[in-house]
Amino acid sequence: MDVSYKEEEKRLRRRYRRTLLALLVLLTGAALLSFWAGYYPLTPADVCKAFLWRFGFQGDILPQAVTIFWHIRFPRVLSAALIGASLTAAGSVYQGMFRNPLVSPDILGVSSGAGLGAALAILSGAPGWLVQLSAFCGGVAAVALSYLVSRKSAYSQTLSLALTGSMVMALCNAGITLIKYVSDPNSVLPQITFWLMGSLNGTSLEDLAWSAAPMAAGLAVIFALRWRINLLTLEEEEARSLGIDVRRTRLLFIAAATLLSAAAVCLGGLIGWVGLMVPHMTRALAGADYRRLIPAGAMLGAAYLVLIDSIARSLLSLELPLGVVTSILGVPFFLYLTVRRKEG
Amino acid sequence: MLLEIQDLSGGYGGRDVIHGISCCAGAGEILCLVGPNGCGKTTLFRLLLGTLPVSGGSIRMDGRETSGLTPRELANLAAYIPQAHAPVFEYTVLEIVMMGRASHFSAFDAPKAVDRDAAFAALEKLRAAPLANRKYTSLSGGQRQLVLIARAVCQAAKIFLMDEPAANLDYANQQLLLEAAGELAGNGRCVVMSTHSPEHPASIGHKALLMRDGRAEAFGTPRDVLVPDALERAYGIEMDVVAVRDRYGKERLICLPVKR
Repeated sequence: MDVSYKEEEKRLRRRYRRTLLALLVLLTGAALLSFWAGYYPLTPADVCKAFLWRFGFQGDILPQAVTIFWHIRFPRVLSAALIGASLTAAGSVYQGMFRNPLVSPDILGVSSGAGLGAALAILSGAPGWLVQLSAFCGGVAAVALSYLVSRKSAYSQTLSLALTGSMVMALCNAGITLIKYVSDPNSVLPQITFWLMGSLNGTSLEDLAWSAAPMAAGLAVIFALRWRINLLTLEEEEARSLGIDVRRTRLLFIAAATLLSAAAVCLGGLIGWVGLMVPHMTRALAGADYRRLIPAGAMLGAAYLVLIDSIARSLLSLELPLGVVTSILGVPFFLYLTVRRKEG
Repeated sequence: MLLEIQDLSGGYGGRDVIHGISCCAGAGEILCLVGPNGCGKTTLFRLLLGTLPVSGGSIRMDGRETSGLTPRELANLAAYIPQAHAPVFEYTVLEIVMMGRASHFSAFDAPKAVDRDAAFAALEKLRAAPLANRKYTSLSGGQRQLVLIARAVCQAAKIFLMDEPAANLDYANQQLLLEAAGELAGNGRCVVMSTHSPEHPASIGHKALLMRDGRAEAFGTPRDVLVPDALERAYGIEMDVVAVRDRYGKERLICLPVKR
């Protein structure tokens, strides 16, 4: 005979499973919508046929529909989903570690570092793949610099990380501005500007494959160890007394979150606010426990970015930069959170 | 003895705050740390928790030297109960309590049914189980403190380190907390708690350590330690210790600062 609070707890667990199922339906729906939307509309039937064509389906389907599906829409939707999931996971991890719900994945300078890496590569006329690689390395280097400098600080680790992170960010942004200033305004400058805006236009399966590896690694680590993030949201002393090596665990999560956000920036440029907003929306749906927050957030983040990307390319006759759309939606949300926190 | 502290010194980065403290406490005993602000109570806790380095002397818990133990090994010996805090995220009470199980499974695992049962059992022991599905952030200070004790109970360590459990609580909640500490000791655990009221060791403590400037001013039974002489040396003001009888005829000690 179970008592009422145990019944209640079981009910909450069942509710979480239903939430996961609903998110899965949402993600599938968003992906289907995104396959269908765009400059060249594909009907749901076209999408099915084009998908099956790869697996030997022979039927009445236009060759351009197959090309559009497999070369444009499919990599694009998959990229949006992966970036959304990665930024959300990274944002959730950083918010927990810094014990601050207003933190975003850029806090240690990963986006600015990646931007600087990309700008440098574009300035020196490097080919596309080298720009991606340079962006990835720039992002990782910026976080590594923030981390190493913070170790010399006398403040608590989270405070000093936040400080060194913002300094590295400022330094990288200054570097980007300098590069923009000296670059050729007719050829190089627009390229840099477009890169920084963030877009999934022209993402190929190869681009995707290169970025998917670090993303998969980062997501796997965070997923496997996700319950431990709960402990990092406590005071350092308290977390240690529960039996974890706080600094080592923190370093591991910083590394995993950095892989995720650097790879996300490489693939889609600077797409802000997703990593800040979606963890919040997920907490409202699935609760604060990271065991639930990470899987639910990854699905919601994926669905969110796939939807935003569909809007960005079908709202107007020209395609809107993805990073601009996420910011337009993200800033009011951030303000709402700040105001609500003050009241609460 | 579950806890043996011998000639312990330590502090922050080469600057010792604690100088040569010795004390001990056994199973079923409550050891109270009392002393003025800045006398080193918190630092002593940090040395016990292993967050600050020991520079001299030793700490033995359940017969094991604690320096060199991993956080996980230490967590199986001693549980820490911080002052009731307000976490940023809205965990449920059960989620908070289950965090106490972290030292019982590997890093790649999450709590399972046994851990959930242990968490429920710990909450039931403290008569706080009906709170299990409430948001921890919505609880009162006294309830939060009870939940943190439940977390320590399901951590299943033998030594409990409580940092001023009665601070910022009203009379009813203070009593609730002191009773909970008494029950822990009654179950064969050893409780170390710091407190600002010298009355606490007198009412529930088995041993008291009076500290001043990182040194032990006096150590022994509360009755021997809480004497005007020692209190005056520790707090630097004139103090009286008065024994009164409450309505049930039980003798109570009250410490009174006095002024001519």
